Amino acid sequence: MATIIEFQDAVLGYGSKAILRGITFSIDTGDYFGLVGPNGAGKTTILRTILGTLRPLSGTVTAQGENGLPLRFGYVPQRDTIDYALPYTVEEVVMMGRYRQRGLFRRPGKEDREAVGRCLDHVAIADLAGLAFKELSGGQKQRVLIARALASEPDVLVLDEPTNGMDLSSRLAILELVHRLHREDGLTVLLVSHLLEDVANYVSRLAIVERDFFKVGKVDEILTGQNLSTMYELPVDVRTIDGRKVILSGGGNGGR
Amino acid sequence: MGAAEIVRTIVQEFPLALYGSMLVGVICAFLGVYIVARRVVFLGAVMTQVSVMGIALTFLPFFPLPHTVGSLVVTLATVVIISRLLTGKKIPRDAVLGVVFVTSIAARILIMQKSPKVEVAEIENLLRGDILFVTPELFILMIVAFVVAMGAHLLLFKEFTYVSFDPETARTQGYNAVWWDTAFYLLAGVVISFATHMVGDIYVFGFLVVPPVAAMLLARKVTHIFIVSVLIGLLSAPVGLFLAFLFDLPSSPAIVGVASVVLGIAWIVNVARRR
Repeated sequence: MATIIEFQDAVLGYGSKAILRGITFSIDTGDYFGLVGPNGAGKTTILRTILGTLRPLSGTVTAQGENGLPLRFGYVPQRDTIDYALPYTVEEVVMMGRYRQRGLFRRPGKEDREAVGRCLDHVAIADLAGLAFKELSGGQKQRVLIARALASEPDVLVLDEPTNGMDLSSRLAILELVHRLHREDGLTVLLVSHLLEDVANYVSRLAIVERDFFKVGKVDEILTGQNLSTMYELPVDVRTIDGRKVILSGGGNGGR
Repeated sequence: MGAAEIVRTIVQEFPLALYGSMLVGVICAFLGVYIVARRVVFLGAVMTQVSVMGIALTFLPFFPLPHTVGSLVVTLATVVIISRLLTGKKIPRDAVLGVVFVTSIAARILIMQKSPKVEVAEIENLLRGDILFVTPELFILMIVAFVVAMGAHLLLFKEFTYVSFDPETARTQGYNAVWWDTAFYLLAGVVISFATHMVGDIYVFGFLVVPPVAAMLLARKVTHIFIVSVLIGLLSAPVGLFLAFLFDLPSSPAIVGVASVVLGIAWIVNVARRR
């Protein structure tokens, strides 16, 4: 597997203010990579740097496909960053994923409509195509945004807090869907979340971030009580129950 | 005057008023959909006042530009500054617009009081625009602004709507959201500048807001919202002009009034549909 995203001793931040220092890690093709940390820890800063909308203050960051071309990201943003004033249909929203391929001045054609249909079908919402996006449930909206990301024919699927504000069944359904896209389509996935368990039980590699604390590796190496206690600054224990990792705070005696 | 005679008078004696008001109605109703959707309605009011202030500036000896050019220069300069400030997080959006709004009005009043050229009432008339006395030069400028703004929006419809709907994802796809926003505000600035000089601030602001809101209540698809809004903008002008002649009313408020009545009907239709 080839490395497609690589951070080398990168210092990340805004303006002249550094938020994260000495960031070194890489993501390979076919990886299922999780990026977790508390709110405000710097996850979004890393994410923006990967997506190319933020430049590192120093060090190097490369995001390049195996063919040497810039990576194509299928980005699934947090749902609250979207403007719901106009009643775009599900089909119209997913079509936006095709705009870059069309280029300026050119309208989407038959080929794009077929691609949109396939993507809707792939995430099991073909029946929602004509409905107004803004009137869907949180889980349905997330599927639409995933379909839009797929419509852009991405090298990497990037999801920012995809299960925020969802009930348990919707959360699990979305995580299972992303897992399926990775497993069946061989898609490289980057999953960003502050919900540790959501990420830990699905990804193969994990990075945990909290200001001056950054660790990356296989889930079992990283997801230890010691690492999490350091990150959250309180006693945290990690248990495995029926094959699923469970995070317990207060050394296993307190609530989660 | 009978109805037929009123129609004849409008068409034969005030053709520029008729076509000019329709032109402004269409383009403002179109751009207004974005302005309402982006929740920057106040920006419409601000830009009309900045435009009026730009005209007022040309009455000062040290700003000896034609009124239209003065309005355009001041509006576009303000648009560039505002579009940067609106994307920042330090000052709330409303506060930025509020400061520009009140400063423009205050500056205009001060300039009018100190203008050495003509009477205050005369300047006020010029600043406010008058549909019935649209000059051929201004009409041609408005056609150019219309073609440029409408052409750009129709050719780049997918880009403008994408950046407006989800700027963060658009940015990851290579669309520079700040650039697109600035382009939108500049196009709107050109239109508002000429339109305000031609038909007045009430008319322009009214058509940036009322038809889009009515269209949002009536239509259920985005493209239909644009079409319905443009139709309201197009048809309110002749109907309003006709009523203004029939009942001896001022033209701009009569036309905006017609659009407002359509909005009222749209609201009733929307409520009835929900039941």
